[in-house]
Amino acid sequence: MEYLYTKKTAWDELLGRLLVSHDIFGPVAGEHFQEYEHLSSATVPEVIYNRPKPASPLKIFFLPVRENVTSPRKQEKQRIIIGAPACDTEALGLLDEIYLDSDFEDVFYRSRRQNTIIISSDCFDVMEHCHCTSYGIRPWDEKKADAAVAVKGDTLFIRIISEKGRKFISDTGVFTPVTDSSMVSFIDSRHRETESMLERANRLLPDYARTGSLVKESGQAVWVKHSATCVSCGACTTICPTCTCFLLIDKPGFHKVKQMDACQYPGFERTAGGEDPLGELHERFRNRYMCKYVWKPEKFHSTACTGCGRCIEACIGKIDKNKLFMELAK
Amino acid sequence: MPTEKNIYRPIRAKLTDVIVESPTIKTFVLIPEEDFSFKTGQFIELSVDGIGEAPFTPSSSPLVKEKIEVTIMKTGYVTEYMHNMKPGSYMGIRGPYGRGYPVEKFFDKEVLILGGGCGFAPIRSLLYNLAAITDKLRKVTLCYGSKTPEDCIYKPYISELRKIPKFEVYRSVDKGDSNWTERVGVVTVLLDDVKVDISNSVAVVCGPPVMMKFGTLKLLQMGYPEHDIYLSMEKNMSCGLGKCGHCMMGKYFVCKDGPVFTYDEIKDQPNIWN
Repeated sequence: MEYLYTKKTAWDELLGRLLVSHDIFGPVAGEHFQEYEHLSSATVPEVIYNRPKPASPLKIFFLPVRENVTSPRKQEKQRIIIGAPACDTEALGLLDEIYLDSDFEDVFYRSRRQNTIIISSDCFDVMEHCHCTSYGIRPWDEKKADAAVAVKGDTLFIRIISEKGRKFISDTGVFTPVTDSSMVSFIDSRHRETESMLERANRLLPDYARTGSLVKESGQAVWVKHSATCVSCGACTTICPTCTCFLLIDKPGFHKVKQMDACQYPGFERTAGGEDPLGELHERFRNRYMCKYVWKPEKFHSTACTGCGRCIEACIGKIDKNKLFMELAK
Repeated sequence: MPTEKNIYRPIRAKLTDVIVESPTIKTFVLIPEEDFSFKTGQFIELSVDGIGEAPFTPSSSPLVKEKIEVTIMKTGYVTEYMHNMKPGSYMGIRGPYGRGYPVEKFFDKEVLILGGGCGFAPIRSLLYNLAAITDKLRKVTLCYGSKTPEDCIYKPYISELRKIPKFEVYRSVDKGDSNWTERVGVVTVLLDDVKVDISNSVAVVCGPPVMMKFGTLKLLQMGYPEHDIYLSMEKNMSCGLGKCGHCMMGKYFVCKDGPVFTYDEIKDQPNIWN
């Protein structure tokens, strides 16, 4: 791994200068959780590093909740997103497969991906429902972001991941290459500690390779039981970093507005003729699990659940998918 | 600088004629304002400005490029608006989308086609295509069912079909009347009448889900191999691009991986008949 470093104050000053030409986003502390904010020079120093995880998934920067997809694309400023955890950057793999599909490339998505530098933040801590390692994802980014940061005291270390990240780091002129590996040995230690914490916390959780068959083989009673408190609100899909289903809404002038949708909403698959494969609550509930753990893995190369745990935190019915999987794995 | 291709943008198409096919079905003749072509069995997303959009498989010949015909049953919000539209107005078209009928795989074979209700629309497009290549086919047998004689669509076209060498047409209605001289019963009864060399034949099924289900089961009983039964699946195809998720049938996006599948491809997927 190739690291460089700079003073944390120099990094903050750099971001302050870049605010002129870039829209910069990073997680800052809220009353109950951290969340991405559009940074100003005043909030740059408040960005939280190395702690999971912003309340919103990274997809919100690439797939807006609602947008007109037939009006001309607006020229947007270059964007820098700081602090995305690995569970979010990993999710971009699936989004890229769907939205950069060579048959039907979504120019809105492509333009935002090209226009954005993602600086991930290694997780040196875990939250209650974090379980990325159960699904083969390490709590630090190695391939999907452009760079990743780790902060120790008043020094910020940055790891080069992509060529775009290398150019960005080089152009800033504030970083010095790390030549003494002992300077970054703390990062390896923190990685190992975080992994160890995750593995301990989730030792009863079946891994991603096994979840598919568990879901597939479970009878209707399981889904009826676990969906009993579901109110079809769609919070789980909205907050999920890999759920991207949408609806096209017609507007005058043959315009189309693309709006996030959810397979948990009644009528999601209903046809004009009245057939509705997901008419029952337990059918919609099961559909999400089949999609993530059976069908998407059959169809795509990227993982469809990155173990962020947000769906558990967002559920007003207190449905805990990890408990469900532990029950299935017994 | 070339114009960026926007996959969500429809092209405008002028409605030049509306043909009443039955009390609930009309055919809309459209002339797109930009070049537009499709392969038989592919579908389009057709929109009413500011109202909504729905998927339809064109019923016209894929060999005719200057116009496109879409046969639509009035079943819901968008189709009701469509049925009220008059020649001179405009619709929006996106597409064509998906995988149509693999006509080249039908060469040197008998083609048995089973259609019901408005499922005749995609089949008419296929028949136009097959009628243009009769020298490459052994025989084409159409079995078409509808609820009543009044509900039978494309009546003039049926007469034309009966004159084409190598083409045979069988029709049934669930409930006949005093003028009806053909079969009475669900469409699958027609399969008892047809003479077909199954070992050198493919079957095509398109219609309401319940008819697709029992039609497929009957074809399997007759001895058709699963990979020789072609089904045109109807799901809630919303974007047409393999992205929005509404038409997922197991691992397939029906809009992109279909809508035409062999039974063999989809038999293990969930909810194929509803």
